[in-house]
Amino acid sequence: MAMTEPVLLRRIPSHPWGDPADRKYVDYDTHCKTGGYEGLKKALDIEPKDLIDEVKASELRGRGGAGFSAGLKWSFLPEVDGEQRFLAVNADESEPGTFKDRVLMDYDPHLLYEGIAICMRACHLDTAYIYIRGEYHETYYTLERARQEAYANKIFGDSSIMGQINGRKPHVYIHRGAGAYVCGEETGLLESLEGKRGWPRIKPPFPALKGAFGRPTVINNVETLAVLGDIVTKGSDWFRSLGRASSFGEKAPGSYGPKLFGISGHVNRPGVYEEELGVKMSDLIENHAQGVRNGKKYKAAIPGGVAMGFLGADQFDAELDFDCGRKYNVLGLGTAGVILMDEDTSIVSATRNIVHFFMHESCGQCTPCREGSAWVYKILCRMEEGEGTMKDIDLLDELAQSMGAMPGTTICGLADGTNWAVKTAIAKFRAEFEACCRPSQVNVNVATV
Amino acid sequence: MAWIVKPSGTMQIERRSEPYLTEAMRRELEAETLPRYPTKQAATLPALHMVQHAEGWLPFQAIEEIAEFLDLDASEVYDTATFYEEFFLEPKGRYLIQICESIACELCGYVDLKSKLCRKFDITNCETTDDGKFTLQMVECLGMCDDAPAVLINGKMYRKVTWEQIEGVLDALPDDPNEFDAPGIHPAQE
Repeated sequence: MAMTEPVLLRRIPSHPWGDPADRKYVDYDTHCKTGGYEGLKKALDIEPKDLIDEVKASELRGRGGAGFSAGLKWSFLPEVDGEQRFLAVNADESEPGTFKDRVLMDYDPHLLYEGIAICMRACHLDTAYIYIRGEYHETYYTLERARQEAYANKIFGDSSIMGQINGRKPHVYIHRGAGAYVCGEETGLLESLEGKRGWPRIKPPFPALKGAFGRPTVINNVETLAVLGDIVTKGSDWFRSLGRASSFGEKAPGSYGPKLFGISGHVNRPGVYEEELGVKMSDLIENHAQGVRNGKKYKAAIPGGVAMGFLGADQFDAELDFDCGRKYNVLGLGTAGVILMDEDTSIVSATRNIVHFFMHESCGQCTPCREGSAWVYKILCRMEEGEGTMKDIDLLDELAQSMGAMPGTTICGLADGTNWAVKTAIAKFRAEFEACCRPSQVNVNVATV
Repeated sequence: MAWIVKPSGTMQIERRSEPYLTEAMRRELEAETLPRYPTKQAATLPALHMVQHAEGWLPFQAIEEIAEFLDLDASEVYDTATFYEEFFLEPKGRYLIQICESIACELCGYVDLKSKLCRKFDITNCETTDDGKFTLQMVECLGMCDDAPAVLINGKMYRKVTWEQIEGVLDALPDDPNEFDAPGIHPAQE
């Protein structure tokens, strides 16, 4: 079911259609010559509410990690009341293993700007902020250059071809973060945008009602917005011809459309590849990434950003779509940034690295996350040095199972990252943890009859 | 870790007569930045970035000046600034070397790279060499997992780094960071 032609990557040379060495920045003129902004032009003749219906019909699900229906998210917005309404573009891509948005923004940023414009029109949003992570210095300059091109060509600004939106001239601005993973959490992002610490907010109220500056706000991921132009041009039926329905029955939301997969770790050819949702991981690794490095064997992988947990040794053929959480005992597809580990990798060390990330990035608001992740990290360090005990494994599991938004002990889902990495590592590679632990109890001679 | 408490109560503030937030910066903030947001506070991050870009770090006096400019309390701006890892509240070296320590980089050689770097400069995480040239910082994911391991030097990204290569780059760095080819545009645009 491999894709026959690229969609998001059509101007960004990528295997198997092109060579990444040929990648170049696609400026406004080149972008337009190759069909760019046609979706926006078509959208100008469509009523905003019909645009939302079209996106709803496409069953586009958010590409930022949670996989929430984009059209549904938009429809939560209240009626226009004359005051400002915002779009916050989540370009704070910072989960280890995730680099797909960077490729879009580095080379074909106008795809994103077109999506932003369509979303603004559909949802009556007058101002958009692209929240880009502080570490993406080069990407920031590229994005700013493209923004100026978009202004010069009247996509945004005082003489925008969109006219007025929500009674105002449409504007888009870039807002730089400064190195905090938690600002990728949608309400943490809003706080940071407002000039505060990026502390996630307690919900409700949801951002659709009270988001940035207390006003209705849509927050979408870069890749989600980048695909909107194609949905408008080619229609929702085209979108749904890629990917597939859920295997959990008709009522469960499906996994449709093209998707960028970032592959990293122990593979021969790491990079961003475009595939339909539902592609087998083995397919991605063997065909696109050209197999495991140095002729080694596959041992484990992370399906999409380290928060998702581990796919085990017997899950190499895992089908990567939004069902994969329930099917393979991981948190979900996440950002589809696959990190592959070969047979020589220590799962205990990998888990320690992942937990260190979450400990480091905890914002400190909620005790289970702030304290819990630090304790989990200490226990894992102890185990790595061969100082752990068998009891530690159960303690780890207990700690992991009791922290996070899903057991309901934290405001945001950051602790769930620690939680899933640890509990799936233990569930799927318990023997490895046991191998670096001493027995907790002293052996006692018991007389046998 | 953003939540570590800073000893602000006993902090000695060094002052100079010349403002950190210069007239030119104020004008730019006034003309370019403030109109973008419905509140003045939202210009906090842009203002902090601006001063740090010029000074290399954020002295407390600068934080006070930003606060005054944005009609905020100094504590509010300080509160925000302390949260973000990329805002430096102490002077750093002329070159900031940020090494990615996340999983893809660790799988592809971060550990070796880090230990060699630490040994070369005899510094560890968040320390600066005695001559004030280099500050080392281990950071979480730089988003370069496909080109792991990755190192960021004053904002310029080095991909698929080997020790020999990065040592060559470091040895060749001019004493004056202004002569360094800092990031402006992405390599793909050149």
